[in-house]
Amino acid sequence: MTTALRRWPVLVALCIAALFMVLPFLIVLMNAIKSPAEYSQHGPLSMPHGLYLDGLKDFWQRVDYGQKLFNSVLISGSVAILAALLSILNAYAIGIGRIKGRTWVLAFFVLANMLPQEALVYPVYYLAKEVGLYDTRLSVIIVFTVIQAAFGTYLLSSVLGQFPREIIEAAKIDGATTWQVLWRIVVPVSRPTLGVLMVFFFIWTWNEFLLPLVMLISNDNQTVSVALGVLQGQRLMDATMTNAAALLGVLPALVFFLVFQRTLTRGIAVGAVK
Amino acid sequence: MFTARRRVVASALILTGSLLLTSCGNSDSESSDGKTLTLWHYEGSDSAMGIAWNEAIKEFKATHPGVTVKFEAKGFEQIQKTASMVLNSSDAPDIMEYNKGNATAGLLSKQGLLTDLTAEATKRGWDKKLSAGVKTTSQYDSNGVMGSGKWYGVPNYAEYTMAFYNKDMFKKYGIAEPTTYDELTAAMDKFVAKGITPLANAGAEYMAQQYLYQLALSKADRTWVDKYELYKGKNDFHDAAWTYAANTFADWVKKGYIAKTSSGTKAEDAGVSWIQGKSPILFSGSWWYGRFESEAKFDWDSGLFPGSNLTLGSGGNLWVVPKGAKNKNLAYDFIDITMSKKIQNLLGNKGGVPVAADASAITDPKTKTLISNYNTLSSRDGLAFYPDWPVAGFYDTLVSETQKLITGSEKPDAYLDNLQKAYDKGVPQQ
Repeated sequence: MTTALRRWPVLVALCIAALFMVLPFLIVLMNAIKSPAEYSQHGPLSMPHGLYLDGLKDFWQRVDYGQKLFNSVLISGSVAILAALLSILNAYAIGIGRIKGRTWVLAFFVLANMLPQEALVYPVYYLAKEVGLYDTRLSVIIVFTVIQAAFGTYLLSSVLGQFPREIIEAAKIDGATTWQVLWRIVVPVSRPTLGVLMVFFFIWTWNEFLLPLVMLISNDNQTVSVALGVLQGQRLMDATMTNAAALLGVLPALVFFLVFQRTLTRGIAVGAVK
Repeated sequence: MFTARRRVVASALILTGSLLLTSCGNSDSESSDGKTLTLWHYEGSDSAMGIAWNEAIKEFKATHPGVTVKFEAKGFEQIQKTASMVLNSSDAPDIMEYNKGNATAGLLSKQGLLTDLTAEATKRGWDKKLSAGVKTTSQYDSNGVMGSGKWYGVPNYAEYTMAFYNKDMFKKYGIAEPTTYDELTAAMDKFVAKGITPLANAGAEYMAQQYLYQLALSKADRTWVDKYELYKGKNDFHDAAWTYAANTFADWVKKGYIAKTSSGTKAEDAGVSWIQGKSPILFSGSWWYGRFESEAKFDWDSGLFPGSNLTLGSGGNLWVVPKGAKNKNLAYDFIDITMSKKIQNLLGNKGGVPVAADASAITDPKTKTLISNYNTLSSRDGLAFYPDWPVAGFYDTLVSETQKLITGSEKPDAYLDNLQKAYDKGVPQQ
């Protein structure tokens, strides 16, 4: 009885917090299905009077959204897989192999992670131009694989640093090579963490704007988040279509999150128990 | 158990590999055989320019059989952020729309990234079609300063500011549409007496500074504009025109013509408040015209700012031909088509301000007013550009300082001092 009473304020606070989180999405949804005239007459907070899907349809056709979706999945998917692979290889050397000077290596990775992307724009542009990768999706995949792997290495290294050494010793006594220890022992045991990392890498890369904007010039190569920028005019904005575009832009990431939600909670729970 | 896991790993590897392969297999280099025209612009497809240029592409295809047009719609911000990088690479388009002004087209011309169009402009007669004020933004000297020198761009349209009047509201309160400055203040007084804020304003964006600059222009002449915009002489913010503007603007806020709360609003909010019939007068640019025409549900009219020979405005964005363009002759042909009577008339009929149209071919009555006002303006050489043009980064200074003027936290005198400081710091040494 008393515990229930004590829980009340927490519940109310959580409800309010949830409302604040959901409210922007609701406003986007409301305006995405309004006609421009309706928006101008009644403002952004009015209820839509009917279903107006032309904004969604027009945007889809105008930017060839299917192609953009494919590009984004291609780039984010490749980055998620490659960066996770690179992270585990690095972290294996640092966390379990305990190479010399690992503190410094880790410090370097953290530093690389803190570097603002604006600082990377010009160097990356020139390098890509030199090797002929400017305006290819591969260039963005390489850049983000490295950026995400820097964070992944940092995180996985500390996770693997706590790895029970008895298991590894046992395997070594049974005659396992370093390579076999990695693939047969370390990777399977830390799979939940790897899963979480991949989901994060995917969503982070999906939402990247600046580097894809600079590196992907042709419309055929552009990602979803860059396509959303097409609607930002010089002086005017098309509010309803921008909302429609935002809705289309956020949906795939949302679906992806829901699909992998179990992986996420499992990964976090594993960390909590240990 | 291991085989199942191996299968997963193997399929993941295959997936990645194939993803990577597809990701690099897209380097179809643009041909320079005169068979493709790569064209970029960032106007909405249903805006006046978008419609007219779409028609121009059709026309181009008809006159150039065998040539494919590769059109890509871009975002304004993308072009602004990446133009110098794109033009410096081999992926530059053959022709693209670009923002006019010293900090944009001027800068690119100085960096040698744009093609000199002087010979084509004289040969094809574009220089004769454009009026003096519109031409200013097409030419840049070796320092990238507009107004003289070589041609680096050609605009298809012009833009200028005007007052939009909600006629229904004027009628409802029995107030006449103003034609002189005194009538304007008298009308605004009457609206204030009825509890209505007469002017829609947006302090967080370009609108507030445009009110202020318009007030200065009503006391200024062409040499004053040249001094301020083209650095022909020293600009003094404490001269009669600027002092009048700052004092009058502060006075307007005090009298309630402009809401104090408008210091934080966006242009979109101001436009919407006019469309909703909350404020009877909006002073802004011709870029609103198309939207008002389709969305305003009441009777409305537009007119030049009363009591001023000059008003804000300029040539529109430019067609530029990058230095690295591979099919320059096709690009020139395309510009020529956009300057033809047919495309220009279409642009006018869709609510744009054409630079070389037949006034008689414009049939839409609302657009007729728009264009006849423009003709009045251009015949008296009345385009005075925008207040943020002379100095890079001046826009942000103007916004934040004018906000302080609206809230009353800064006196007009201090306001002008601050503008002078920012202007002197940023103005190029001649």
